[in-house]
Amino acid sequence: MRTVEILMVVVVLFVAFVATSYFAVLPSSRLLSGLNLRELALSTMETLDVDRDLSRTVFSNPSDPSWTSLQMALTSSLPLNIAYNLTVYDILTSSDGVVTYRLVRSISNSQGDLGVNSDASSYVVSSSDIEYTVTPEKIGESSGENITLYILNCNDANGWWIAGYTAQSLASDLSSLLFPYFQTTILVNTTYQLGLLLNGTTLQGETLQDAVIINTFGEAVPIPAGYYTTQGYDSSRGSYAEYAHILGQRINQYNWTWVSIVGYPFYYVTNTATFSDTQNSWGIYGMEHVGAAGLNAFLRGLDSQSYSYNSQWITGSPGIVQFTWNASYYSNYYGIYPAQYQTSTRALPTSILSTYDLNVSPDSYIFQVVNNWIPGATFTHQDGGAFTAIGLTRTPDIRITALGLLQHYHPSIYKSELGASGTSRLIVLQLAQQGGI
Amino acid sequence: MISLVALVTVLTVSIGGYSQIMGAAIKYQQNHQIAMKANELANALILSTGYPLGWGQSNNTPSAFGLQDPEVGGYSLSPFSIQRLLSPQAQVYYNETDLWYSNNSLDWGGSLLVPVTNAVNYTTAAKLLGTNGSYGFQLTITPTLNISISEVDLNPLKLNVEVKGLGRALRGATLNYFLYHAIPSNYSFPSIEVFSGTNQTDSTGSAVLLFSSVDGSQYAYSIIVYASLSGLTGVGYYSRETVTNNQIIPFVENFENRTVLLAHSWDGSPATLHFNATFFILTQNFDLSRIQLANSSGLVNSGTGYPYARVQIPTQDAGILIVAYRKENDYGIVMMPWGVSTLGFPVTFGGDSSSADWVAIELRQVTVSKISYQVKLAVWSTKDFQQWGNNP
Repeated sequence: MRTVEILMVVVVLFVAFVATSYFAVLPSSRLLSGLNLRELALSTMETLDVDRDLSRTVFSNPSDPSWTSLQMALTSSLPLNIAYNLTVYDILTSSDGVVTYRLVRSISNSQGDLGVNSDASSYVVSSSDIEYTVTPEKIGESSGENITLYILNCNDANGWWIAGYTAQSLASDLSSLLFPYFQTTILVNTTYQLGLLLNGTTLQGETLQDAVIINTFGEAVPIPAGYYTTQGYDSSRGSYAEYAHILGQRINQYNWTWVSIVGYPFYYVTNTATFSDTQNSWGIYGMEHVGAAGLNAFLRGLDSQSYSYNSQWITGSPGIVQFTWNASYYSNYYGIYPAQYQTSTRALPTSILSTYDLNVSPDSYIFQVVNNWIPGATFTHQDGGAFTAIGLTRTPDIRITALGLLQHYHPSIYKSELGASGTSRLIVLQLAQQGGI
Repeated sequence: MISLVALVTVLTVSIGGYSQIMGAAIKYQQNHQIAMKANELANALILSTGYPLGWGQSNNTPSAFGLQDPEVGGYSLSPFSIQRLLSPQAQVYYNETDLWYSNNSLDWGGSLLVPVTNAVNYTTAAKLLGTNGSYGFQLTITPTLNISISEVDLNPLKLNVEVKGLGRALRGATLNYFLYHAIPSNYSFPSIEVFSGTNQTDSTGSAVLLFSSVDGSQYAYSIIVYASLSGLTGVGYYSRETVTNNQIIPFVENFENRTVLLAHSWDGSPATLHFNATFFILTQNFDLSRIQLANSSGLVNSGTGYPYARVQIPTQDAGILIVAYRKENDYGIVMMPWGVSTLGFPVTFGGDSSSADWVAIELRQVTVSKISYQVKLAVWSTKDFQQWGNNP
């Protein structure tokens, strides 16, 4: 009997092994790492259009000799084992707004279908007698407000959790991304200038009220020497959390929007002169550890609550988070394309909404809420002031900051079309690798 | 007993088989990770400018590495950033400056020697890209079109130009050509006579260029030919000179100040060389436009006195430095691209993959100053890794 049982076990093991071997077929080398045909197709079209040669050809008569030249150029620029099919469609828009695509011409070096392992990229070109202009609305323009964008660029401060960048390079990039949407964009170049702002003094005669302030220093926040290092210091706790409380009060007072681009907000204060001998425990001098008490104090200040020291860690780590529908929509609208999936390790809890009288409008959620954690959003206080907190892990992608702000304020973009109308064409270049494995 | 032996045998075979399947799966996962890294690296190299912007036109090491042309964007590389990449070719030592130079020179009168101290080396690039110690890479940037020029007759000078794409002749391509002929002048240095014109390749991708007033056997000449067809553009060149030694060799001295040393080669019987240097920029429609240089003529010798002369490129644009020179009755001519693409120089940069277990390849089309190039990026792992979790 035992012999029979063992033989049955042998048979079961053998069958299991054969079945596993049958199904566990690894993909071919080409599937593992073939050429990235999509990128190759896109780069081919872009480079052929560098002087608008491709645009001119696809708008020429289908019997024009330039199509033959295009075919020659494609054949000569692609590796010999790449088969291609380039198809051009006319984009037609009917009076009721329905878009249709009419085939103009297709050229290929292959007789048949390119197969399922082919890949394609598309490229839209416009006729040379058409010109588009894009004019962004200035934020606040429609309501008669004059909103200033301040970007902290203090040369006497150090950043944290912005590894690979400097606050100054981030400030420069943010300025390039956002200046078209603001009446005035000002780089705050020293902590002294930040102190002036906190005191209610303008730097260039700009409008102070309703401004947006982006802190490019990551988890650290620049602190001006003098009043703010004395009044912002909680001597009983040996902490600069009270500075974060003052910041919260100012945000509320001037109806500012404070933007934290990454990590745990207000976790350190930074001033290279004041803290020249102090480091953040990771070897970065000019920085003083505040810890979780900074954010709690800031939120109390924003809500006009009195200062109290609370070092309780309040953020969570929901892990991989995804854009909201609104974020995806505005990503397309403004043409800003950060990755839709990000890793969040410093998400704020939904409980702060009721604790500190905050509200988040649907437009202002950047990432979907996960188990009562808000990975990225702009929180608006009912009495004034707002706080954009992007609780992602390092290193920051400042395109998310720009997107978060734009979707919160959602300025319009006016696109105008001059010259002839309806003259856009879609080019699809499909590539397939022939031969080999 | 027999059953027990059979059980043990099947168990052993099964464990061995499963181990093989799992081993193959792990290898697959590792190789897939390399392929993903290759794609990521290709985008980082080609679609980012690096920082600071325009680092290719400075002497400083960039704090972020990328080769995109900041003035053009898209799949366009900066000719100056590429110029600063350290070549794997054997380096050249110049005793007058006591410096080593990265050698990107080609045959037929094309020279590009850049100081190693100001070049960006592979280790620095790997550190800036975050691949140091994990992945190796090699970047090859090659002109898409191959334009070869050969002499048919010397007097009058008749040249055959052949244009090829990847594996096939390019018929119907428009050729813009420029011939620079070094001839005697009223001064000790030669003057440069310029002939230019357009032509078109025939069904075999060839065209014959005739210069009826030029005797190619006398003095020295260089010809540069730009070929273009439907957005695809390439460049080729050819030089002939009568000097066999005592040549002028241009060395890039300073990227930021755009200074170039014109050095004596110190070979053969020492002789004084009288030179005449000119700079040409490449315009939008593939015309070469002359820009006047300060101190464009002078002499260099191999003894004491004038071991080299210094000229400064007067513009931020890419172009070609052409130096014609005379040694007694012999003439020479040398060209140096300022921004590698103006003479279609290829660039190879990075490590050696010969000992790599598996190499992933990424291919992209790019333009460099409107010249079509192909970028091939090879990436491999430099360690035996087994990575099961997320990156830190």
